[in-house]
Amino acid sequence: MVADRREEAARRTARRRSRIPTLFGLTGGLIVGILVCGAVFAPWLAPYDPTERVARPFLSPSSEHLLGTNDIGQDLLSEMIFGARVSLTIGIIAAAVALLIGTTVGVVAGYYPKRLGSVMMRGVDVILILPFLPLLIVLAAYLGRSLLNTILVIGVLIWAEPARIIRSQVLSLRSREYVLAARSMGAPDRWTILRHIVPRTALLATGSFVRAVSSAILLEAALSFLGLGDPIQKSWGSILFWAQSRGAFLTPAWKWWVLPPGLLIMLASLGFALIAFSLEERINPRL
Amino acid sequence: MRRRLDARRITQYGVVVVVAVTLNFLLPRLMPGNPLVLIAGVDVGLLSPDERAEIVARVGLDAPLWKQYLRYWGDIVTGDFGYSFRSSRPIVDMIMERLPWTLLITGLSLIVSAVAGVILGAISAWRRGTKADLGMLSGMISIESLPSFWLGMLLISVFAIQWGVLPSSHAVTPASGLEGWAHTWDIISHAILPVATLSILATPGVYMTMRYSMLETLGEDYIRTARAKGAGERRVLFGHVARNTIAPVVTVLALRLGFAFGGTVIIETVFTYPGLGRLVFEAVSGRDYPVMQAAFLVFTAAVLVTNLVADLLYPLIDPRTRTS
Repeated sequence: MVADRREEAARRTARRRSRIPTLFGLTGGLIVGILVCGAVFAPWLAPYDPTERVARPFLSPSSEHLLGTNDIGQDLLSEMIFGARVSLTIGIIAAAVALLIGTTVGVVAGYYPKRLGSVMMRGVDVILILPFLPLLIVLAAYLGRSLLNTILVIGVLIWAEPARIIRSQVLSLRSREYVLAARSMGAPDRWTILRHIVPRTALLATGSFVRAVSSAILLEAALSFLGLGDPIQKSWGSILFWAQSRGAFLTPAWKWWVLPPGLLIMLASLGFALIAFSLEERINPRL
Repeated sequence: MRRRLDARRITQYGVVVVVAVTLNFLLPRLMPGNPLVLIAGVDVGLLSPDERAEIVARVGLDAPLWKQYLRYWGDIVTGDFGYSFRSSRPIVDMIMERLPWTLLITGLSLIVSAVAGVILGAISAWRRGTKADLGMLSGMISIESLPSFWLGMLLISVFAIQWGVLPSSHAVTPASGLEGWAHTWDIISHAILPVATLSILATPGVYMTMRYSMLETLGEDYIRTARAKGAGERRVLFGHVARNTIAPVVTVLALRLGFAFGGTVIIETVFTYPGLGRLVFEAVSGRDYPVMQAAFLVFTAAVLVTNLVADLLYPLIDPRTRTS
């Protein structure tokens, strides 16, 4: 009896467990979908041009300016809608840069595991030990403030984790029968890698990519908040930088100037993180 | 994630130090523009050629690169980080002044997040698949997506401005003349919000490790054996599961500390807290490059020390690593 009930409970748990990734994935997809639509259709959605001074500065929310205006009289809601473009673009491109480096290093290190691979992975370990945020800030400070620099700095610092994950997959792929068969028939390494290895890391790489977008969005926000973002293209992080330097969080204005952009950053990062979570669970169930 | 201090690890740490120092050396010299601006902190345009040559000779920029590099190493080994561009003070003094504050808030937040993460992670794993587990898991994933500075700003808006119960910035009330217990309370009340922010942000990492590592332990054969011989739930949890779960968690905690240190750049900026992180922010916004570099080396040292602690602690906690 007891055993029966336990088994029944275990089965129920297993079923529920398998639902969690789907639930997470759908929620994440919905969030990301809405934000991306907002970014794409920004010119139609935003009531004003975010670069124009359309009203008096420091206005409280009203029917004309739903989230008030900033210190130079720009419409905050419009700034946030257009900010989606900057934040999401930087996040996605920086993650793509990271994925490109990470996949290359991971595939090469996994395919030649002896000397080359072990040297490369030692290098990856060193990068993972370096104090991440201070290094990011130092690099950004030297390179200067521009969209491209932000993307590069983030991209070249977050590829190590994807490289590790992809390498371990390649390590196991390279001893599969079809790979061995291809090699024993004299296929050149490059062909084997491109034909048999890389396509099979695609799912894992997608997971790493989505997770990288999630962290890149947060890193961009942090850099912009420290005043290291592009001074012209305002992201959500830059809006918060100005809110901080104008002391908005010390006044009632925090409710419309500080709360919404942070919430958007969080939602964007969370949306991608949830998708990554559900992908990772599918590949390597852990929940 | 078993760890041990061996020759390989020691080499690795050596390489990290070399990479950090070399980065510091090369960055200002590789950047476009005149390196004098970055290394001597002078406005090149305002100098006569003679003055310029004099400064180049003084900071050693006329020597061959390898000589400059050796000299740079010599300075670092002897603890000479140079002078700040802005305040002209020795950088070592500035760092020593700031370090205790950063140690205070990171240390406290480590304790808070460790306790919270371990307890919540254990409950979550024990109740795997239930509503409580799902709720905690989603909560932790959401926290990981919080922009750290934004959380700090919100806490200030709510607790310091809206309710006015805690101070919003600095580590002590300026020129308050407080002494004794009043002074201690002053320090504590100023630390509460930064520590709360850091703790909230650090909890998910501990929680995830605890939950995962406990789920792994729960699946082990010896747990089934313990259950089969009739050990009570409580005995299984504390006697068998907890003891075997704690090692990876301690490692993660030690490593977290190194990273929490780096995270203070943002949190201390939000709270105008006079620690090392705030120093980095001030250096970055004032283009005070030598201060920025020195702080980067201190952060690197912090990460290495915590890694070393993790290596040394692990065999003590997990006897399985001692053999071989």
